[in-house]
Amino acid sequence: MTGDPTQAIDDAVLAERISSGDREALGALYDRYAAMAMGIAFRVVRDRAQAEDVVHDAFVAAWQKIGRFEPSRGTVRAWLMTIVRNRAIDRIRTIRPSLEVEAADQQSLLRTGANPTWDEAVEHLSANQLRLAVAKLPDEQRTAVELAFFRGHTYREIAEITGVPQGTASGRLRLALAKLRESLQLTDAAPITISSGPATWSEVDR
Amino acid sequence: MNCHDVDEIAAAFALGAVEVNERRAIEQHFETCREPHVELRAALGVGPMLAASTEPMPPDEALRDRVMATAAATPQEHRGFATARPVAPTIGRDRDARPRWLSGWGSSTLMRGLALGGIAATLVLAVVAGTLWGQLRDREELLRATAMAIANGEVAYRVQGEAGSGYLVDTEGSGATLIMAGVGELPAELLYELWLIDAEGVPIPAGTFRPTTDEIAVVPVAHDLAGFTTFAVTIEEEPVERPTTDPVMVAPLQG
Repeated sequence: MTGDPTQAIDDAVLAERISSGDREALGALYDRYAAMAMGIAFRVVRDRAQAEDVVHDAFVAAWQKIGRFEPSRGTVRAWLMTIVRNRAIDRIRTIRPSLEVEAADQQSLLRTGANPTWDEAVEHLSANQLRLAVAKLPDEQRTAVELAFFRGHTYREIAEITGVPQGTASGRLRLALAKLRESLQLTDAAPITISSGPATWSEVDR
Repeated sequence: MNCHDVDEIAAAFALGAVEVNERRAIEQHFETCREPHVELRAALGVGPMLAASTEPMPPDEALRDRVMATAAATPQEHRGFATARPVAPTIGRDRDARPRWLSGWGSSTLMRGLALGGIAATLVLAVVAGTLWGQLRDREELLRATAMAIANGEVAYRVQGEAGSGYLVDTEGSGATLIMAGVGELPAELLYELWLIDAEGVPIPAGTFRPTTDEIAVVPVAHDLAGFTTFAVTIEEEPVERPTTDPVMVAPLQG
């Protein structure tokens, strides 16, 4: 999104400094990403006060768990934003069991793991361009993505909510991601964490 | 779950939109499967892209202070601090209505502005004695009145967290006083320990207390607040020299 490689480097340096207990570095990370985090949190919880609670909890979690962050598996921004999203979803989830936020933070490293196909889009395209790509999805696909990622529903729940078979719901998600890739002119899947071997997957629930 | 099943819900998995048992099944599948699963590879990592597509929204300026204050009182896992914590007390507050630390009344400047004299002394005595409890039913109103009264020229800080909510009042030269309502119950073997934390992040024990049947807790704090940047409360099994658990209350001391 920034297209500025120095910021990526700075993020990595900030992560190292945070890991060494440098709270000023946490402040710098906050200054850099708080607005983005707030945007995500607000989109999920739809309440400013709650969104701020989510952002607070996410940055504190990042501070507390920075030792778990592995730069080789993704960017600080991706890790942080996934923590924000996980916590926001956990907050609005009242019926389903908790997202297992602790496990989800771990898992976020895998889900957000260094997949150049999406990382490139984030690095090189503006938020407006990304929004436009999402906006261009057919309504049913965009709704499915919204319900999944920003409302925390499973594809089974999405099927029920939208009144379609489960296979259709999961199919809409597949088509949506394929169309997004096409729209963002991404290359075919590049090697990601799972290519390093099955052991990566077993780390999820540690 | 076979390869076909995995591919069918690959996108849902990447979006975190599968049930827990399905997620685990997919992970287990990959323990042994050597198929490329190109579609899943392509889908993973889409989350941050979707996150980045959202419109940024600047948070309230006070949130930064709140984050930094909590971080100052929160040990980092990898740096060898204890991560286990006693069971947090159950408190009668809606989870979704958690207080916003430091917003509004959390500003020490505002607190000073509210630190008007007049009826102050009377209110202090009345509140501490509990005689106003029935008249000021709203806890926030009571605490505001308490803060205005008690402050009376002193610095007062709003404190809120799982342990309860109230004000920390600096009584320069003779330590400080924590006045708090809604104190969460604790098992008999646990207590609340107060901490004052300096700019270097070093916590100084500042007193302990156990919840009582009183609706308002009035707790002496063993140090003046000058020179400290953060106030925190932890739950401990006994008075300790360093926190062994995560804080249940954190408040920055500013101004």
